[in-house]
Order: sequence, then structure tokens, then C-alpha cells
Amino acid sequence: MAMEEYVYELRDLKNKAPKIFGIPTGTKLDEMFYTVNYDEKQDRFIKKPLGGIPHLAVMNITGIPDTGKSLLVEQFAVYQAARNYPVLFVTVESPANFLYTALKQKAQVLGLDFEKVEENMIVIDASQNAELREDMSSLLDTMAYAIKKKNTKNVVIDSVTGLYEHREVLARQIVRQLFNFLKKWNQTALLVSQKRSSQSSETAEAAGGLAVAHIVDGTIVMDKEIINSKWSASLYRRNIGEVVRTIRIDGCRLVPHSSDTYIFEITDTGLIDIKGPLSKITGGD
Amino acid sequence: MEVIGKPVNERNIDAVAERIFHESIRILGGLKNLVEYRNLTWLPSLAEAAYVIALKNESIKTNREIAEYLGITEQTVKNILSADENRVMEYLKGESREKEHVAGGIAKLAYRAIKEHRDNLDERMEIMEESARSLGVDWAVHVLSNIKGLNFPVEKEDLLERLKGYQIRGKPIEDILDSLEYPIKSPAELLHAIREAIKD
Repeated sequence: MAMEEYVYELRDLKNKAPKIFGIPTGTKLDEMFYTVNYDEKQDRFIKKPLGGIPHLAVMNITGIPDTGKSLLVEQFAVYQAARNYPVLFVTVESPANFLYTALKQKAQVLGLDFEKVEENMIVIDASQNAELREDMSSLLDTMAYAIKKKNTKNVVIDSVTGLYEHREVLARQIVRQLFNFLKKWNQTALLVSQKRSSQSSETAEAAGGLAVAHIVDGTIVMDKEIINSKWSASLYRRNIGEVVRTIRIDGCRLVPHSSDTYIFEITDTGLIDIKGPLSKITGGD
Repeated sequence: MEVIGKPVNERNIDAVAERIFHESIRILGGLKNLVEYRNLTWLPSLAEAAYVIALKNESIKTNREIAEYLGITEQTVKNILSADENRVMEYLKGESREKEHVAGGIAKLAYRAIKEHRDNLDERMEIMEESARSLGVDWAVHVLSNIKGLNFPVEKEDLLERLKGYQIRGKPIEDILDSLEYPIKSPAELLHAIREAIKD
């Protein structure tokens, strides 16, 4: 049977195409995505920072443990909620009361109004409920309820790996269902996924493996390296024993982005502080 | 910051409330009993209580949200939720004159029976099917159970896929479906159209 409803003339899509603008994260990640516009006066294309992750993008944040993935998504959630853009936070790893403490602390450090954050955030605590973690239809129904209830614009899931940790064969199916759901509900989303430490950071597996990276709109890879040789100490201009943290955008199908690897630090107060491109810090062009 | 700690499925609320309502009537001795004792005025309160219990237990709403959703006062919601089931039973048996929210207590008892699978739903379904067969409308039960989950309006192909090989009063379903007009807007319209088609 032909499914005409899925066939479009290109012009039919004109009014359906989402506007491209940035949803700020409160970090320098916002400068790593670009928009390219034609400037008539100068008769050339001008590249400008987008000012955030692309609106309605479903992005995968991946890395080995302790690379700052949760900190980044918490920072994004607090920043958006404080700006009156409601956020649905699905916590799969950390119980909601611990999340509350972390978010409160972030708001204080960032100088944001925590009352607004409280007002604009709805949390699904899947960490304490096996049905929410293991039955996708239960999770999606509950997410739909929360999205409708708070009219949320953003969704954070920390982490999607927790939804298929004992059944990796279902990973693609689970991520595909989540992706389609988030698109249907017009949400800008960050999905945290875990990378095994054996998977090298420059490989496709670093982007969360084939399960996640090929389905979502783009991937941000966070990594860390312990300086344990004179060579890397000199390369990174750090002392032996220090930890170097990096972040890079590993593809985004919605907008152009920096292909550099950036150095970042986790501050004492638990914030992500992106310093700049690794190439500049290590003395490259 | 609101925290949701267990699954929410709003689509089931109507079904849960209906089931609580039916079980409540069974606890009260059946609809006939209510008619005989002229207690039919209880039914609106019972329906209200069934919804309150369903919403409270299945959708994690606050009392105020339930009151807004149903258009009743928050105090009524509280009275329903705090009704003592045992005292209500004593009241119904005439063993107590203490005033309780009767419908709330019955609905709570009914919900508990459903959760503990004591509402004998399967047995009652069997009786309903038996009755449908004796009335010659068991085909309606078969059609409805086979089209479960189908999105309406439907075309002939979707129905054929679900009902292939079935016969109603000796007529193959394929022939019956051939004679209907499409698309069919709802299950009720489908049953009506089939009934008309098998009349001849």
C-alpha cells in the first residue's frame, strides 16, 4: 500500500522547515557551532557563531566515565530553566534528590535564580524505577506527560546507556524510538551515552558506538588524558600527573561546526570551562 | 521542581476509572440491586470517586490538579481519598451510622480488588461472551477484539488483514467487507455496517 502522507514536493516543506538558531548551553560550546549567511553588501558568505546547540537538535554527549558529561548537561539544563525555557530532565543514573543538590549548586555558582530553575524543571527519576528503564512505552508515555505538563522545550537524558545496559542488541531500537519521539514533540535534546574506556577517542565507537551516533543529529565527544610522559607534558604544556580534558563536535547534520578539539577544565565548583582549541594551546596555527 | 518517580500512562485513566466503576457496582450487589433499593443517585458520585482514585493512583496528580481536572472542589477530592473502606462496608451493612464518603470508600475497595486481581474480570468476560453468543452477536465481540489497536478511519485492506478467514452467519468476511463503503470512521460504524450487510 502506497503511503502518500510520507511523500512531499520540496516546496511543501517550506513552512515545515525549522528555523536555525542556537540554544545556549552557558558554555563556550555555543561558539563551536556556526551559521553561514550570505552578505549582499560584501558579496560573500559570512560565518557566525550560532550561539548554542542547534534548535531542535538531538545531540549525543559521549565519553568515558569522569569526563564531565553529566556536568555539561546539568549546566545546560540549569541555564535553560533559569531563562524560562522549561526542561525535562530524565535521570537514569543518579537519584533525583542527588540531582536536585547538583542543580542547586550549579545555579548558585552560575549566579542564576534557583527559584526559576525549580519552577521550570520537571524530572523523571528512572534511576529508582525498573519499569521506566526497561519498558520504552512506559518511559515515552511518562515523558509525553511531563512535556505536556510543563510545556518543555528541552530534554536531557542522563544516560541513554542506562536504558539498554543489559540488552545492547536493542540499543539502536531504543535510541531510534527516543529520537523519533523527541522530534515529534519538538524538543532540543542532549542524550548522554557512555563510552567504554577501551574505545579509542578518535574512533567511531568514541561517538557512542554505532547504536547512537548514526541515529542522532550530532555527537559531542568528551575525553580525558593523564599526562604521563615528557612528550605529552611538552605537547599540552602541563606537568606530569595532571589531567587534560578535551571536547570536540564529532559531526552535526544540522549546521556547520568547528572541527577542532578544544581543551576544557572542570572548575572546583563543578562547571565546564572550555578554554580554546587544542591547536592554539599546543602552539599550532 | 516536580519529580516523577513511576510510569504515567494518561491514556489508561478512562479505562481504569471505568473498571473501578464497574467493580464498585459489583461490590454494591450489582446494578439491579441499586435499582431495587432506589440507590441510583449514587452513580454520579461513584463515577466521580472512580476517576479520583484512578487519577491519584495512576497519574501522580496532586489533589488540586485532580480537582481542576474533574471540576470538583479540592475538599471533595480529599474526602474521597481519605474515606475509610472498612467503615464504609460497616455502614452499608447497617452496622455503623458513622458518616463516611461512601462512594470514595467503595471506589477504593474496588481499586484494591482490581490491583489484587480479585475483580474476576476474565470470568465476567467469559459470561459476556457466552451471552453474546446466545444472542447471536458473538461476531461483534470477535470483530472488536481483532481490530484492537487499529487506527480509524480504516480502509478495507487493514480490516482484511485482521479478520481474514472469519465467517459471520456462513458469509465469508471477505464478501462482507467487499460490500461496505470506505473509509470507515469508527469501530461503531464498522459494527453497524456489518450488521446491515448480514441482514439479507
